[in-house]
Amino acid sequence: MIEKRYRVAYMFLLPTLVYLFGFQIYPLFENIRLSFTNLSLLGGQESRFIGWQNYRYFLFADEKFWLIFRNTLLWVFGSVLWQFALGIPSALVLNRKFRSRGLWRGLILVPWVMPVVVVSIIWKWIFDGQWGILNFVLREFHLLARNVIWLGNPRTVWFCLLLASAWKGFPYVTIMMLAGLQGIEKEVYEAAKVDGAAGFALFRYITLPLLQPAIFVSGLVAIVTTWTKFELIWSLTEGGPGNATSTLATYIYSNSFVFYEMGKGASLAVLSTIVVLFISFFYIRALRRSNV
Amino acid sequence: MEEGECMRIFRSLRTQYLYLFLIMAFTLFPFFWLVFNSFKPSREIFSARPTLYVKNPTLENYRWALGPKGANLGRYLLNSILAAGLTSLLTIVFATTGGYALGRFAFWGREGIGVFLVLSQMFQGPLIMIPWYKMASAMGIINTRLVLVLIYGTATIPTCVWLMSGFYHGVPKDLEEAAMIDGCSHFGAFWRIVLPLVVPGIIATGLYSFIIAWNDYQYALILTSSDFAKTVQVGLAELMGFFGKTSWGGIMASGVLTSLPVIVLFVVIQRYLIEGLTSGAVKS
Repeated sequence: MIEKRYRVAYMFLLPTLVYLFGFQIYPLFENIRLSFTNLSLLGGQESRFIGWQNYRYFLFADEKFWLIFRNTLLWVFGSVLWQFALGIPSALVLNRKFRSRGLWRGLILVPWVMPVVVVSIIWKWIFDGQWGILNFVLREFHLLARNVIWLGNPRTVWFCLLLASAWKGFPYVTIMMLAGLQGIEKEVYEAAKVDGAAGFALFRYITLPLLQPAIFVSGLVAIVTTWTKFELIWSLTEGGPGNATSTLATYIYSNSFVFYEMGKGASLAVLSTIVVLFISFFYIRALRRSNV
Repeated sequence: MEEGECMRIFRSLRTQYLYLFLIMAFTLFPFFWLVFNSFKPSREIFSARPTLYVKNPTLENYRWALGPKGANLGRYLLNSILAAGLTSLLTIVFATTGGYALGRFAFWGREGIGVFLVLSQMFQGPLIMIPWYKMASAMGIINTRLVLVLIYGTATIPTCVWLMSGFYHGVPKDLEEAAMIDGCSHFGAFWRIVLPLVVPGIIATGLYSFIIAWNDYQYALILTSSDFAKTVQVGLAELMGFFGKTSWGGIMASGVLTSLPVIVLFVVIQRYLIEGLTSGAVKS
């Protein structure tokens, strides 16, 4: 009887597994194979095996690669840091008792469900160098003498990009932190209050340590998903001005689908995967250590 | 003494609402700004002193967005509706079956498959794009809505199997056992007894995958280029490239039209979605 029930379980799982192996795991390995070829849509020649050539090119010959690598770290950790810097306080506030709290909790997710392209329309218009409201407000308060072309200047473009990314991503962190906060027993706070803790000390010594598991898990999810996201950067700046906001993800895209050098793009994808696996590995190890 | 206590509570309430206001303003202002501007005539949009209200509201921008003289978004909206609708049907089929196995049975390898589902959410976008482009070209399905549905499945199925397994977990086991004693086959019990009980979950996963597919930009960008298959996201991004300096009002109206469906759907499934997302995170 038990074995028969197992068979039923495998039968029900089979379609999902076949689908994911065929359409997700196979492409992943095919991508590794392609990274050792000179596959290109230009020139019309058959692609052939060229060994480590693509990898050697990016790691040792390409002058842009390391700048783009640094940009990727800035993009991922900048986005995630801001998302938590905004998400944790928002969760603390929304965890209080309010009139129509459910409504506010739902509304806070609006940026998160918005399509990326619309998000970039919104922020492009806010940051617009001539008509944007950001310039207007800063000028009104005499913080700016002249209009700034926010997205066209390598020194201001990162601020804009990370702000847009934080806006889109912080609601997810807020909801995760709210779930974490609901798991904290009221008695813990009352005991701490009896011991004389209040205000920030309450947050620092009670809330934060108890939130830590939720922070770690959603932090990992945020890092990994931001690592492979290129849509927001692409639709806001296309990696520009110059290569100022190019990341590994936009570089994979532009190599493969703007210049049609797909073998090169594939090798970048492999390098990118290796780095994100490394980061996750060390992240999880650090997490295990801190728990012991 | 009592008066002082009252004042303290009043003040803390006031700061609490102040914080709430700040958070909601940051969250919603950019969106409202989009909506306001979509109703402004271009004289008010390109103004040296932008206003927080609309002086002369107009539908001109929406006519531009949908009309043949402007963006002609209708066709792209239709493509998106078809691609996203079919994705949610596909996802429902896989999530109702896979989720049942995961939520109901303690079989060998269950944990491994759970980890596999979480990991497969990592391998998305640029990491599988190039082989997909090659595969789709080889099979002759590039530039079709079909290829979009197939690739969206890789993004929606892992999450939705998780979501559904949670819903099956809530169905009492005795029900299907009773049905099987009464002579139902296992599949019959699943089909007639269990499935009707998880209809809310089916609706939630269906709408969730609709949103994911609707919002996709990256896959549609590489896999579709003809008007026959191009989704509204790709169309919208191209509009920004073509008319980004002149027709901001029309572009913002198009943006509102593009985000409206997901916001409406989101309001419908909000409660289930938040529950499913957070419980999934706690589990893993």
